[in-house]
Amino acid sequence: MRKRKKKKIGGMDIFVFLVLTLGGIIILFPFWNMLVISFTTQKEYMQTKLLFFPKNPVWDAYKALLGDGRIWIGFRTTFLYLILGVPLNLFLTTCLAYGLSRKDYPGRKLIRGLILFTMLFGGGIIPLYLVMKSLNLTNTIWAVILAYGVNTFNAILMSNFFSSLPESLLDSAKLDGAGDWKMIQRIIMPLSKPIFATISLFYIVDRWNEWYNSMIFVRKSSLQPLQLVLRSIVIDSQVKAKISSMGVVAVEEYAFDTAIKMAAVVVTIIPVMCVFPFLQKHFVKGVMIGAVKS
Amino acid sequence: MFCAGQKQRRNEVKMEKRKRIFRRIWKNKTIYIVLLPALVWYLIFVYVPMGGLMLAFKDYKANLGILGSPWTGLKHFENLFRDVDFWQSVGRTLKINVIRLFVTFPVPVIIALLFNELRIRKYKKVLQTVFTFPHFLSWIIIASVLRNVLAYDGIVNSIISLCGGDVVNFLGNKRMFQPMLYLTDIWKEAGWGSIIYLAAISGIDQEQYEAADIDGASRLQKMLRITLPNIMPTIAVMFILAAGGIMGAGFDQIFNMTNAAVRESGEILDMYIYRITFQATPDFGFSMAVSLFRSIVNMVLLVIADRGSRLFGGNGLFG
Repeated sequence: MRKRKKKKIGGMDIFVFLVLTLGGIIILFPFWNMLVISFTTQKEYMQTKLLFFPKNPVWDAYKALLGDGRIWIGFRTTFLYLILGVPLNLFLTTCLAYGLSRKDYPGRKLIRGLILFTMLFGGGIIPLYLVMKSLNLTNTIWAVILAYGVNTFNAILMSNFFSSLPESLLDSAKLDGAGDWKMIQRIIMPLSKPIFATISLFYIVDRWNEWYNSMIFVRKSSLQPLQLVLRSIVIDSQVKAKISSMGVVAVEEYAFDTAIKMAAVVVTIIPVMCVFPFLQKHFVKGVMIGAVKS
Repeated sequence: MFCAGQKQRRNEVKMEKRKRIFRRIWKNKTIYIVLLPALVWYLIFVYVPMGGLMLAFKDYKANLGILGSPWTGLKHFENLFRDVDFWQSVGRTLKINVIRLFVTFPVPVIIALLFNELRIRKYKKVLQTVFTFPHFLSWIIIASVLRNVLAYDGIVNSIISLCGGDVVNFLGNKRMFQPMLYLTDIWKEAGWGSIIYLAAISGIDQEQYEAADIDGASRLQKMLRITLPNIMPTIAVMFILAAGGIMGAGFDQIFNMTNAAVRESGEILDMYIYRITFQATPDFGFSMAVSLFRSIVNMVLLVIADRGSRLFGGNGLFG
């Protein structure tokens, strides 16, 4: 973009600045409030009307949370989802996207139709549950990992990218006698780094946030992902009972419910918060790739 | 003899055709090999479950399996259509998601227009990161964070009571619950939704603005007369696509925001399916009948949306 000639600050600038800043505050404030509460004692929480900053920050809620043990189970399970699930997602999606992007082979229309149909119609969770049961996968993490293999939307995004690669490049490779494998290796893979980055990120986010399938397929509490651990701590609020039963002394004195709940949310968000600002542009790029096509 | 000769010729042609197809398949064999893993996955985890929907017409007996269970015709559907809870949940789904569509839809457009006018580059980047952040968190996290600030003794109520107002029970009040769904939805998704419009805005031809500058147009005029009309096709397409999702939206949000006091006002169709399947003694046949109903209605809506968005020059659902 070129520079505007006039750089005077007008009413519009002030208005836009104020409205967007207010929006930013409304979004950030609940997170800040959660962080503050996770560091306060029950006494301070009760006594202070407007708590914007903890006077004497304490780590008690975090100690109680990490001593509880469930959060570690959550991290372990989610970590397994990521290192086993995301490569599977990428492998299957790339396979499909390559197939969909090639133009001339028998059966292409049928395959494309069958894949696109799944975006319109699905069996829902119950028959999938019965399938998992008959494969003896329920109560294992494999049920969750395999239930989410290809996100058809991501596959289409990737295949659109493949088809947008310059035809002439592929043709000249073909003239040089390169087969499909060589084309994938030598030409498509290196040129497709940006789309791989974006799609990987989409899958990583999905896996990180995965909870519904686990809730249905896996009943074992030792295999709960982070999100469900968080849900059971915050929304079903069983913290107190759990901690008391684990023999932590004088729970009431230092570890009050709300602080532990908020600490649990903080612990779950922190990893996302640390990487998100650096990756945001890749997510946006994903939308741009989708939008440019249309 | 003449006849037989013709037959033979025809057979030869057929054989030749078949050979050619086989040759083409053989020539493209790597494509099929590459496709195979993905197709196997779709077969086992998408198409087999789809076949499982036949249970909607069967009496499911665990020991007999899906195929062995006896057919019952439309019994489940007759029971279903007589179920008041079912019709109420359908009505609620439509009500919540139609209002949601109209309340939440304009917000990302407005945010995009505002961001487009923000001239401090660095600040714009930071704010955009903030605005898009909640989209990437699950509804479990968002519900946890928002329940905290909206709680009875939460900070929002503290501020209200300091200003002399009455404490509001935001999430435990039947009248407030649905509006809170729309507000929290905007809070989580509007920023991310604006990205698609910003992408559209960045594609607008700059000459239009230069011409307007020469005519002495104000920035507001340029926003309303140039930027907005230029992204209208994108807006139309996004609206139709959102409308197509009316049957399916909202489960994650409501499942995590709901509580005993407002259970009824949040029971959309997906919540109803969840309740009858996983919170009661399940009758898989009956549950499947509801799922089939939902899937079919959903598909019809999506197809209409797809056709509609093509009318406005979009690429439809399939990119």
